[in-house]
Amino acid sequence: MRQSGLGRVINGLTVLAVVLWLVPVVWVALTSIKPANVINSPTPTFFSFTPTWAHYLEVFERFQFDRAIANSLIAVGVSTFIVIVLALPAAYACARMGLLSGDGWALFILSLRFMPGVVVVLPYFLMANYFDLIDSQLVLIIVYVAFGLPFAVWLLRGFLLDLPREVEEAARLDGLGWLQIIFRIILPMSRSGVAVTAIFTFVFSWNEYLFALFLTYDKATTIPIALQKTIDLYNVLWGSLSAGAVIQLLPMIVVVFLLQHHIARGLALGAVK
Amino acid sequence: MTARSDETRLSPSAGSALVSVAMRSIRAQRRRLAYFLMMPSLVVLIGLSIFPAVVSGILSFRVHPLYNPNVARFIGWRNFEDLFDDARFWESIRLTILWAVVVVAVQMVLGFLLAVLLDRKMRGIGLLRSLIIIPVFISPIAMGLTWRFIFEPVTGLANWFVSQLGFEKYSWLSHIDTSMSTLMIVDCWQWTPFVALILLAGIQSISPEVTEAARLDRVRGVTYYLRIILPLIRPVIMVVILLRLVDSIRIFDLVFITTKGGPGSSTLLASVYDYIIFEQGHLGLMAAYGFLILILINIIVVLFLNTLYRTEKAARLEELK
Repeated sequence: MRQSGLGRVINGLTVLAVVLWLVPVVWVALTSIKPANVINSPTPTFFSFTPTWAHYLEVFERFQFDRAIANSLIAVGVSTFIVIVLALPAAYACARMGLLSGDGWALFILSLRFMPGVVVVLPYFLMANYFDLIDSQLVLIIVYVAFGLPFAVWLLRGFLLDLPREVEEAARLDGLGWLQIIFRIILPMSRSGVAVTAIFTFVFSWNEYLFALFLTYDKATTIPIALQKTIDLYNVLWGSLSAGAVIQLLPMIVVVFLLQHHIARGLALGAVK
Repeated sequence: MTARSDETRLSPSAGSALVSVAMRSIRAQRRRLAYFLMMPSLVVLIGLSIFPAVVSGILSFRVHPLYNPNVARFIGWRNFEDLFDDARFWESIRLTILWAVVVVAVQMVLGFLLAVLLDRKMRGIGLLRSLIIIPVFISPIAMGLTWRFIFEPVTGLANWFVSQLGFEKYSWLSHIDTSMSTLMIVDCWQWTPFVALILLAGIQSISPEVTEAARLDRVRGVTYYLRIILPLIRPVIMVVILLRLVDSIRIFDLVFITTKGGPGSSTLLASVYDYIIFEQGHLGLMAAYGFLILILINIIVVLFLNTLYRTEKAARLEELK
């Protein structure tokens, strides 16, 4: 492509915009390996310091990050799996079976995504209390399934609409049942769609705070709750906070780079279709 | 024997009637199957989303003190009347609307500019697009707390930067006059990339013939993006505005972790005030306010979907002509 002078300037601008945008992220990553006295000095230090792992050790020893990570992985992992298993047939029904106009159902399901957390957190709290599920992983799994499902159905439906119908028809002629078609034909064909849907479901619950705050207090607390404890009435430990934030973000960054093309497409599908 | 040959000699119209009966039964069977496939999700959604919302609706007509459940009872519209008499309630509604309008407007404009920048063909553009998505994946808690660190009055990076540029140190989150706009900056930092990437996908789904025609007509630069691209991605823009508007009205985590509605009530957005009502122990009142937020959101969604569908229908009619 021919690059005029102006074009080069705009290219430079693009790079600059992205780099500036990410300064806060870099700053936090740097803070997580700075010694405490460097962090608290009034003149910021960018690169000239001796790195330390002390903050990472501290979040594990003092703020029980090992347990928080395990809790988050279990609650979020199990709920994401359940969401996908439930959402795939529903999305297929919306996309392919002309159910009272699939659009209507899909919109109805999507509208549940707009439910504000503060509206339903109280009934959840009371119900969990009644069934003695407060501070259990089970209650978090239930909540995350309920909140992940609507968007997952919506997103998957967008991906399934893109698949060619011929393959399914051939499979039907071969005598496969619907569930077989969904899990043996559709699932492998829409792998990237399923992966993107799983990621968005995972991210939502991985970062979720309000329900974890209401429904857990000790045994089942997740990463956001543990993170919050680094900065509260008793502690203001910017180093530990930064280390915890990096730990929480790291898996997301890995996923972004593994699936970069699919993610942009998934975002667009979720919004457009 | 004769009966069978009669059947084979049925008139063509009767034959098509038979076919249509068969089709109808297939369609009915398909519909049953569709419901069967939907059923698990529907049961989960009704049980875990709609039922709690109904419980919340019932609670909103009761007085239900958290610390003294024995006096819980039905009180009709009293909770709503109390809310309407509460000046802080109206302040929180005003702030929420202000917040949603400003934040979404800024994000749409900046997001479109960013999308245009990211639409360029250059080396490493894929990497830039992946990098810019990172803020979207940061949890509001981690983000809110780290921004508090950056906005620290004495040791924070923001004030160092401001003083480096030769300006007075700024109060950021810690003053009534600046807390709201500071939070808006944070929210825009997180969500502008989200808007940009969706708009970018919209821009890139425009057919190459259109862009080629524009190139041949020498429509370029600003004119190209404003006159050609913007009208073409209108539906995408509408959907992004809807998503962002709803999420901005619902916002809780970020505000709760940074300012908790303060200083004073300068950042007292709806969800945060609702939580404060909970902390004071008025469960019925909390449910009532939650329900009002839900109604507000539903009105916006319905209005938006209506206009969206109307424009889509109009576009389709246009095509038919």
